[in-house]
Amino acid sequence: MKDYGLDLHCQMILEDYASNLDLYIKLSSIVQKTIKSALRSNTIFVTGVEGRVKTEQSMAGKLELKGAKYHSIEDITDIVGVRVITFYSEDVDKISAIIEKCFNIDWDNSVDKRKMHSLDSFGYMSLHYICRLPKESLTHDEDSRLTDIPFELQMRTALQHVWANMYHDTGYKSGVDVPKELLRNLNRLAGMLELADDEFSRIRTTITDYRRLVKNLVDDGKFDDVQLNTDTFKTYLDLKPFDKINKKIAAINQAEIHNSSMLPYLAILKNLGFQTLGDIDRLITDYGYDAYLLALHEIGGTDIDIISSTVAIQDLCIVWIIENGGSEGDLVKFFNELLGANTYNQQRAKRVMDKAESLSLVKKRIANT
Amino acid sequence: MKVETKKIEDKKFEVFIEGRVDTNSATDFQNEIMKLSDEPGADIQIDCSELAYTSSQGLRVFLMLQKSLNSNGSKMVLKKLQPQVKEVFDITGFSNIITIE
Repeated sequence: MKDYGLDLHCQMILEDYASNLDLYIKLSSIVQKTIKSALRSNTIFVTGVEGRVKTEQSMAGKLELKGAKYHSIEDITDIVGVRVITFYSEDVDKISAIIEKCFNIDWDNSVDKRKMHSLDSFGYMSLHYICRLPKESLTHDEDSRLTDIPFELQMRTALQHVWANMYHDTGYKSGVDVPKELLRNLNRLAGMLELADDEFSRIRTTITDYRRLVKNLVDDGKFDDVQLNTDTFKTYLDLKPFDKINKKIAAINQAEIHNSSMLPYLAILKNLGFQTLGDIDRLITDYGYDAYLLALHEIGGTDIDIISSTVAIQDLCIVWIIENGGSEGDLVKFFNELLGANTYNQQRAKRVMDKAESLSLVKKRIANT
Repeated sequence: MKVETKKIEDKKFEVFIEGRVDTNSATDFQNEIMKLSDEPGADIQIDCSELAYTSSQGLRVFLMLQKSLNSNGSKMVLKKLQPQVKEVFDITGFSNIITIE
């Protein structure tokens, strides 16, 4: 061990640290695994769970500064530190409640630095718990001393984390050290990040409320009240609105239906002028039979016994374009948007238009226009 | 039915399919073409200019290959399809699932 010039008392603590190092590393790993597993089972997503064991040099520095206040190595509570970084400020509370069930919390030494905010408070702080592993959390082959070692657990938002890291980089240890000229700017920054955290939370709540409203409207069949966008289209697709036509098309050759995503059609439907879920619902009701006729004309007479679940929406769009006065060029444009521009699309548009002529689709176009 | 695979450069393959993929040849076709999923992160170009016909069995094999390639970070593109083969992909909606250039 390197000579740090410590007194005998501190040197003994440092030697205890060195002999326990493997235990600290093991403890950090167990704590991180426990937290990750608890977050997973509570379906809470965080930006990260990270852990560190204090380095020998950092320990020596700490002992040099305040070694006299530690009677033994057990009095140093932050040798093992684990941090949970959340997306949203309210997740800090949610996670703290989960963590309280996982570990024994030393309440006398734990601080909610978030509550220390006052008019003259400094920084943008996080929630710190001093914990120990409960005895029952260890397996038989794990060292029982692991439950005696305290560790520090920090929970903070990503923005609190940014602030803490940037502040750490200034080299000042506490607000008292900071020159007055800098203090104002650091506090301004902390206030701004706190506002940003609140705003992100507000946006999340708004999104959740909006999705709930959309789901209710869709469940109640009030499709005309719902604007077409990714969220609403996904919710609508949960009702499996294209299933009926797909099954009818599949029945032509007793075909299997392969499930594929219909989301690529969203941009196309919007480009075609569909604005609400009501418009899509009418597309299915008003054009469903003709889409089936087109598929019957194409698949009937072949031995094809597999189709993609995108067939219904594909044929509905084709029929809609033709019956609303669309030209071969409009079909090419549709295929280009759907599949990317390529030389096949022109041939395909011509083939589809020829089929439409032989069915009654083109006549319907004349009647519609 | 014949499948020929050429390694153009590292992780880049060119595959040439000739003949008909139907009930009789589908198993051989599957055995040959699924070998392409052995190499992770591969770029596979399939030349279909001499593929005269594919049945639903052929579509299933292409689908199986595509899934397997997606899971190991590879990608596949079908090229130079004859009109009657392209039509099979179109009317089944498979053109939406499989990349055709």
